[in-house]
Formats: sequence, structure tokens, C-alpha cells
Amino acid sequence: MLIETKDIYKIYDEGKESEVRALNGVSLNIDKGEFVAIIGQSGSGKSTLMNMLGCLDVPTRGTYLLRGTDVKKLSDNELSKIRNKEIGFIFQQYNLIQSLTVQENVELPLIYQGVDASKRAEMARQALEKMGILDKAASRPTQLSGGQQQRVAIARAIATRPEIIMADEPTGALDSRTGADILGFLRQFNDDGTTVILITHDNSIAASADRRVRISDGLITEDTGTVGPVSYSGEDDAGSMRKPASAAHAPAPETLAAAPQTAEPTIPASNDKEVSEG
Amino acid sequence: MNLLQSFKMAWRSIKGKRGRSVLTVLSIFIGIAAVMTIVSVMEGMQEYTRQQYAAMGSNKIDVSVYSWTYDEDGNNISKDYFPILEEYCKSLGDMVVGVTPNSRANGTVVYGTVNSANIEYKYDEETWELLQAPPQMYYASPQYSLVNEYEITRGRDLTYLDVEKYNQVCVLGSMAVKTFFGNVDPLGRELQINGNKFQVIGIYKQKATASSQGYQANQMDNVIILPYSARRLLGGSVDNQFQIKVSKSEYIKDVISRVGPYMRNFIPENAGSVDAYSQSTWQEYETEQLSMIGLVLGGIAAISLIVGGIGIMNIMLVSVTERTKEIGIRRAIGARRSSIVSQFLIEAGMLCGMGGIVGIIVGTIGSLVLGKLMYKIVIWPSPIVTLGTFAFSVALGLLFGSYPASKASKLQPVEALRAE
Repeated sequence: MLIETKDIYKIYDEGKESEVRALNGVSLNIDKGEFVAIIGQSGSGKSTLMNMLGCLDVPTRGTYLLRGTDVKKLSDNELSKIRNKEIGFIFQQYNLIQSLTVQENVELPLIYQGVDASKRAEMARQALEKMGILDKAASRPTQLSGGQQQRVAIARAIATRPEIIMADEPTGALDSRTGADILGFLRQFNDDGTTVILITHDNSIAASADRRVRISDGLITEDTGTVGPVSYSGEDDAGSMRKPASAAHAPAPETLAAAPQTAEPTIPASNDKEVSEG
Repeated sequence: MNLLQSFKMAWRSIKGKRGRSVLTVLSIFIGIAAVMTIVSVMEGMQEYTRQQYAAMGSNKIDVSVYSWTYDEDGNNISKDYFPILEEYCKSLGDMVVGVTPNSRANGTVVYGTVNSANIEYKYDEETWELLQAPPQMYYASPQYSLVNEYEITRGRDLTYLDVEKYNQVCVLGSMAVKTFFGNVDPLGRELQINGNKFQVIGIYKQKATASSQGYQANQMDNVIILPYSARRLLGGSVDNQFQIKVSKSEYIKDVISRVGPYMRNFIPENAGSVDAYSQSTWQEYETEQLSMIGLVLGGIAAISLIVGGIGIMNIMLVSVTERTKEIGIRRAIGARRSSIVSQFLIEAGMLCGMGGIVGIIVGTIGSLVLGKLMYKIVIWPSPIVTLGTFAFSVALGLLFGSYPASKASKLQPVEALRAE
């Protein structure tokens, strides 16, 4: 098993009045080569779960075994190394460093790996070429469109050839066509053997994954298991997919009401800011 | 991540915030320049003092012997102590190079239309060079030039015969030649000193050099040296100021401790005094004083450096806050804490190093200008001071950058990523 979580909790301000349970006992196993979508409303705990799985955060309680290793027992440097070599992150807001060029942004994880300059440049170029954006290598992120920036971010994520790609609302700030392209890339990486974990609030986007795990109030409410992509009926998902970038953070469409929804929001959005504020 | 990469990244972010970086550099360079200027001016002053003393002649001991013995009419009838001292110095053998009276002779010197009583002091306002002044006359033994490091360029020096025979002769310093004779060849010509004719038998080479130009050095060229036996003719009390030159500086203390007590044997108790001291004692004292002044001024300038350092810390803290997101991104893609620390440390070190370079440039200009304005000398900061200043400024950056850097490295990746 690649990823194995047992009953993990993430509790902020435990025991205080302001206590927030972002994860309330999540047990989830993900195998190598899976394409999993983690679906949840804003504040459901899905991003917190991704942070745990991506070794950006550690659970308050419970164990997370990454390839059998208990993450809690790893040092900060070892966690850095895992994030550097084994996981590629893709964020909703791209998270490129504005002061660096596209090429340098893509090279950054390789720099932290200590790859020497010429090899690094070559690897970065390959990743950019794969994303069809090699011609922008010398540009600054601000000179690019959202879709182009996300391609750069993906190039950065795959430059180190990680085993796992974690994408947190990767299409959230993009129009539907660009978003579809991005999902296409994720599918392609998965076909090549990379484990892909896609975090989204959008059922129609989740439909591109082989397995859908629904999370609500810090608990898993549904897990389809690996069944292959499901196609939702066009009318239901059209609303969210066709939204222009600026409107992408609007509350989830009514159609999602079908999903288990408790009295929202019981959990403040503090752990999901990037979704709620954008 | 290797160091070169860290330097490149630091340089990138310094360039990215150009305006602020310039201000940061400004905040540090003033202190650096001040310290640099003070240190090098002090060094220059010490060198200047050393040269001044060197021009006066090193390894010299001044001896003064006074006694208050009077006859019924109130005339000072104290002995002539020079023969005693001279004799004693001979007994010290190789330790002593020479001994001479060092008493000023008073009188008016006239040659043609030039009269020493009418000569005014004139300085070059730029360089403080003494252009014209009444000459100073000294009673001297034939060893005067040995003791005071004069060299005959033309004619001959005083001899024992001149002393013994009461010859009315004199040797002139280069400036005195200029004052009385202008372009006329002085050798063989006669000066009127208090109405007595003294023949010029020799000329000393100019002592003032480009680097030791100044009042003291010029005065040493403005001399008329007479055999001490001329005192009989020109009047005045007996010689009581003497100078001894020793062959090595190690002998200074030794000779002082011998000459003083020896001469004390020849003066009446409670009615006289003997004093033997060395110029080098004064030089040491003066150097020490200069170091003290330098230390105090340097301390004040160091305070401005601390203020600058706190400024650096402040700016780096702001920078860390501003770049929280960037730090989060870097951590997410695998930067270790140590990479973040070194990134910010190197940035602070580079900023301060740049401040240091600007400070060194300004400090160098400052010491050149100050040296020129205050002391009329050229002060180039020494390589040690320059390198030391640079190293110090980088160290300052590392010191004051360490807190912001450690703060940056302790940010939790998740929280840092959430920052806008």
C-alpha cells in the first residue's frame, strides 16, 4: 500500500472553545497507480487531508504510513525530502514564485535536490516541453495566462518525476476548456503510472478520476473504490465547468445538494482559505 | 542546495526589491564609512607622528642640567656641564653615537639687507609648509649633525678645532640659506651675528621631505649652527640642554638611567635638577593618546553600525513577512529549513557586504579628504583596515540577519502557503 491512514485527526485549538476538528478520524488507503478524487465542500477537510497526505502537515492523532513509514516519526528534513522527491504539488493558485522565471520555477525543486545545473536545465526543459510551454521558459509567471501558469506549475510538479501528484483544485481558477486540458494531463500522468490525488469540490471534475472519495465534516462519507471514470449527465455539471475563472469560487452548484451535506458550515474555512477566498 | 545557488537566489531577490535594497545599503554604509575613516585617519596620524619624530632623529635622549648657584652680585656661576657629559659619554663607548649641546643662541643675524629681526612667519595656507621664519641658532658640538641626523651637502661640518679655537664659523640649514642668501652661494660669506662676523663653512641637506612637510620639519631646515664656544662671544648663560644619540633604541633606557644619576653628582643638592628623557617616550605617549581617541571615536561610530544592523534586521523581518507565501512554496517543493536559513542569511550578508563596499569607498574618500584638510597628509586606508571593514560588515549582516532567517525557517509549510 502506498498511502495508508488510520483514523487520523486534525484538531485545532483542542479542548478550547474555539476547537475545530478539520479531520475527524479519517482512514484511507490509496494504492500505487490509483487516480483518486477527494471531493468535499468548502471546509469539509479535504485540503487538510491533502496537506496530511502531502507531508505538509502532521496529524494531531492517528497514523499515516507512507509506503509503510510512519510520517510522524520523520524529521523535518526527511519530510522535506519526501515533498521534494516523491510528491509533486499542483495548487489552485499555481503558487509560482513571481521573482523567478518560468524555467527557474521549474528548476527549483531540482535545485533543492542538488541536481547539477546542466542536468537540471535539461530536466526542466523536458517538463516544460511535455506541458507544451517550453517557449515561455524565459518569461515571468505574471506574463502568462492562468492556464499557462498552471502548466508551469504542473511542469514544476513533474520535473522531479515524483511517484505521487497531488492537485488541490487545479482547475479552480481556470475556464472549463483549460481545466479540461489540465485534467487530461493528470489522466496522462496516471496512465504513465503516477499515482494522482485530485482534490476538488466539483463532482464533474471528480468524474475524471477512477475513484472518488467524498469527505464531509472531516469524515469520509463515500468511497467508490476504483471503478473507472464515471460520466455525469451533462446538465448537472455544466454549470461549474463553464464558469469563467473569476466566478470559479462561487458556492458549489445546487446540483451538488445530492451529496451528503450537513448544516454548513460547521467548520470555519480557516483550513480551506484558498478555496473560500481564492 | 549548493552555496552558489543560494548566492544567485539572494542576488535575485535583492535585485527584485531594488529601492529597498538601496535604502538598506544606505543604512549600513554610513556607519561603515565612519568607522573606516576614523580607523584610517588614526592610523595615518600615528604614521605621521612617527615620521615627525623620525625626522627629528630617533634614538635621542634629551638631558637638561640646571643648577642655581649665584655669586654675591646675583650672577649665575654654575659650571659648564658639557665637558663633563661629553667625557662621560665617551666612557659609554659604542652605546653613544654622539653628544651635543642643544641650547638656543639668541641674537640678530644680518646679511646685507636681510635682518633676522624683521623676518616674519609665512606659511603656505594649503600645505602648512613654513615658507619663511626667523632662523633658529643653536650652540653645537661637532657631533651636532650626527645626533640630529644632518648631512653636509656642501662645504664642511663643524670640527673640534672650531670649538677649541673659538672660530667664528657657522653651518646653515637649507631654509636659512634661502632666507639670507637667496640664490647667492653662501659658502665663505659672512653673517653678522650680534655684530660679530661668522663665516658660513657648510650647508646641511634639506631634512623636510614631501611626506614630513610641516612646521617641525621646516624648522629643522631653518637653523644656524654655531660651535658652542661661540657662547663666549655671543653671551648667555652656560649650556644646560644637551642631546645624546645612542646607537640602538634598546640603549635608550640604559643610557638614561646612567646619565641622569651621574650628572646629579655635579649639581648642588637642593639647588639644581637633572632631567634625562627620550623623544621616543613622548612618541609612545602620543601614539597611545591617538589610539585612545581612535577607540572613543570608533566606539561612537560602532553605535551607528548597531543602529544600521537593527535596520537590517527590521528590513529582513519585513521581507520574511512579505515572502511568507514564497517560503511556503519553497518548503512545499522540498526546501529544508537550512535552505531557507541560508537564503535569508546570505541575503542579509550580501546587503551588508554591499553596504561595506560603498562604505569602504566613501571611507577611503573620507580619510583622504580629512587627512588633507586636518593634517595636510595623504592617508590611504591600509589593506588590513579595508579587508577588516568588509569582513566586519558581512559579519554584521549575518549577525542581524540570523533572527529573521531563523524566523523564516520556522514557519510551518501549511500556514506559510496560506499567506497571501
